Amino acid sequence: MKNRLKVLRAENNWSQAELADRIGVVRQTVIALEAGKYAPSLPLAFKLSKVFGKPVEDIFIAEETDP
Amino acid sequence: MKPVNPAYQAGRRYTVEFGLSIVAYVIVIFLSRLLWHTASGGWQIAIALVPLIPVAFVVVAVARFLGGTDELVRRKIVESLALAGVATALLALTYGLMEGDGIPKLSAWWTYATFMVSWIVATVFVRRRFQ
Repeated sequence: MKNRLKVLRAENNWSQAELADRIGVVRQTVIALEAGKYAPSLPLAFKLSKVFGKPVEDIFIAEETDP
Repeated sequence: MKPVNPAYQAGRRYTVEFGLSIVAYVIVIFLSRLLWHTASGGWQIAIALVPLIPVAFVVVAVARFLGGTDELVRRKIVESLALAGVATALLALTYGLMEGDGIPKLSAWWTYATFMVSWIVATVFVRRRFQ
């Protein structure tokens, strides 16, 4: 699953550590999310949606190969 | 005021709880070995098993950490534990089957050691998947 986390984080001038604190995860989790190595749960996706003030579908883009 | 990140808070709490449990384990195992020689019969078994109490504290510390950390950290730990469990079961079964053919019987400590080594290897393997 692709996402726009890195772009949105840059738009807000937040570091990875700052975003991690805002959504209650460790920095390594933000790195994995941004790299598309991990698809978050619904609660975490909604947290991201809330901190960025954007709908979930504007942050995450489903791909044909996604299960 | 900066909000407290629960994932890091769980990590700090785990470090303290794990550290205290290990200190308790070292003290208890020392006392247990010391007293074991003075006891007899059922008391010897009871004294030998007393170190399981601080070990239980470690299990509680790990469980509390799993409950408090973030979902990806939790997933990585649970996956590595599962892989280590499967590897240990397969190795124990393989060796157990060979024991019937004259291979020397091993201490149960080897099963524990195998699990811990498997857990370390599985942790490295699982972490790389998410990097």
